[in-house]
Amino acid sequence: MSLLLSQTEIEKNIFEVVINFSNLQIDKKEIESSLGYPEDMIPNHFSELIDEIISELPDKCKIKAGYCLAEINKQKEKKDGLTIADKFFNMDRLVTAQIKKSELAALFVCTIGNVMENWSRQLLTNGDPATAFLVDTVASITVESVTDLLHDFIGDEMKKRNLNITNRYSPGYCNWPVSEQQLLFSFFPQNFCGIILTDSSLMIPIKSVSGVIGIGANVKRKDYVCDQCGMKDCTYRAVRSRLKSI
Amino acid sequence: MNELIERISICVERGKVNKTSPYPKDLAGQDGADELTRQALDSNLGPDSILQACNVGMMKIGERFGRNEVFVPELLMAAKAMNAVMAHLKPFFKAGTVKAKGKFLLGTVAGDLHDIGKNLVSMVVEGNGWQVIDLGVDVKPGKFIEKIKENPDCIVGLSALLTTTMASMSKTVKEIKEQFPNIKIIVGGAPLSHKAAEQMGADGYAPDPQGAVEFLNEFIAA
Repeated sequence: MSLLLSQTEIEKNIFEVVINFSNLQIDKKEIESSLGYPEDMIPNHFSELIDEIISELPDKCKIKAGYCLAEINKQKEKKDGLTIADKFFNMDRLVTAQIKKSELAALFVCTIGNVMENWSRQLLTNGDPATAFLVDTVASITVESVTDLLHDFIGDEMKKRNLNITNRYSPGYCNWPVSEQQLLFSFFPQNFCGIILTDSSLMIPIKSVSGVIGIGANVKRKDYVCDQCGMKDCTYRAVRSRLKSI
Repeated sequence: MNELIERISICVERGKVNKTSPYPKDLAGQDGADELTRQALDSNLGPDSILQACNVGMMKIGERFGRNEVFVPELLMAAKAMNAVMAHLKPFFKAGTVKAKGKFLLGTVAGDLHDIGKNLVSMVVEGNGWQVIDLGVDVKPGKFIEKIKENPDCIVGLSALLTTTMASMSKTVKEIKEQFPNIKIIVGGAPLSHKAAEQMGADGYAPDPQGAVEFLNEFIAA
């Protein structure tokens, strides 16, 4: 299915993708699951609060997304990383193994802006930690939903070129050092999508996602290999495990 | 147990903050922790007995959390109710009539700007009767050390969200332990585990706010 999104090439091989809130599908069950509740076990009070927070999302989410296409240099192939354009990414074996068959890489970023995180912080300051926590959780699920959409859109764009895509991987996860964010962001113009990096490589706004997707004729999206990763307490691992059980 | 005291304990456990609070639904319209504490103090019930009732309430919700009967939102509502009680008890803490269980020095380590997890821990720990000194986010080791010098009897809590900030956490633990080998340090955050905490030389690891409370309370018992 082709997604009703559009893109603009702002520089050679750098695209801004327009994602409207109406394009998103916020899964309330996923929110409840990430809070830890078994299906249909969340108290009404919190369920209603989540509904209220979701109803605020269209006004409070300032979605921006984009990506850069770059060639993977096969001649400089290593087991623990990939050379994208002329820059070596120390991705660790886990991520490298998933992407190494690709000819191109889509380096992507997206964000929902800082309104939700400010709202959460304000609620906490005003002594309402439970609602603050719910707002933060809904914001996290929302930015993941934006990332899902961007991932699918890149897949559709590549299909037009008869190419397939891989899963997505982000610095800070799967043993890929978060410091490599600096390298990843070097592919974009300054302040791309309104995201900046701190010296310690964290993104501001906090509710942002960055990463890489492999592109090639002989690659495909498949199940994540969480069981091969050493991060037993990873957020993604926990969410994927819970979603499998629903 | 006095009826008022017992009701305060129930309000804390159930997260019933005050009369206007809609949560929990079955207690809607009834007095909450706020009103009942005022009434208890007006009836000359001792702040110590009120604090004890709160601790029982927090302990019960903590046990239910440990059994996966309730989750973080319920725990935070309990902490909010507990904080409503603490607002009334603050003058007694200041006067020294009642004492906090101890001091908990808390911060997100250098390089990490994430504060929601740390703030939730702060609220729940404070709700359990500890004095929390919150240093905020992106706290450098030197700042922790400066504050430990001012509060040599504290227990230190370090928070981090990402794998890479674990290196910063490890450095912080090392620098604190070099100067204050007897200071107890507990670490928490998404990328951590008991094993990681042990490797970096911390004394404990908490996967959630309740874990931090249990760690701290063990030290009181010890």
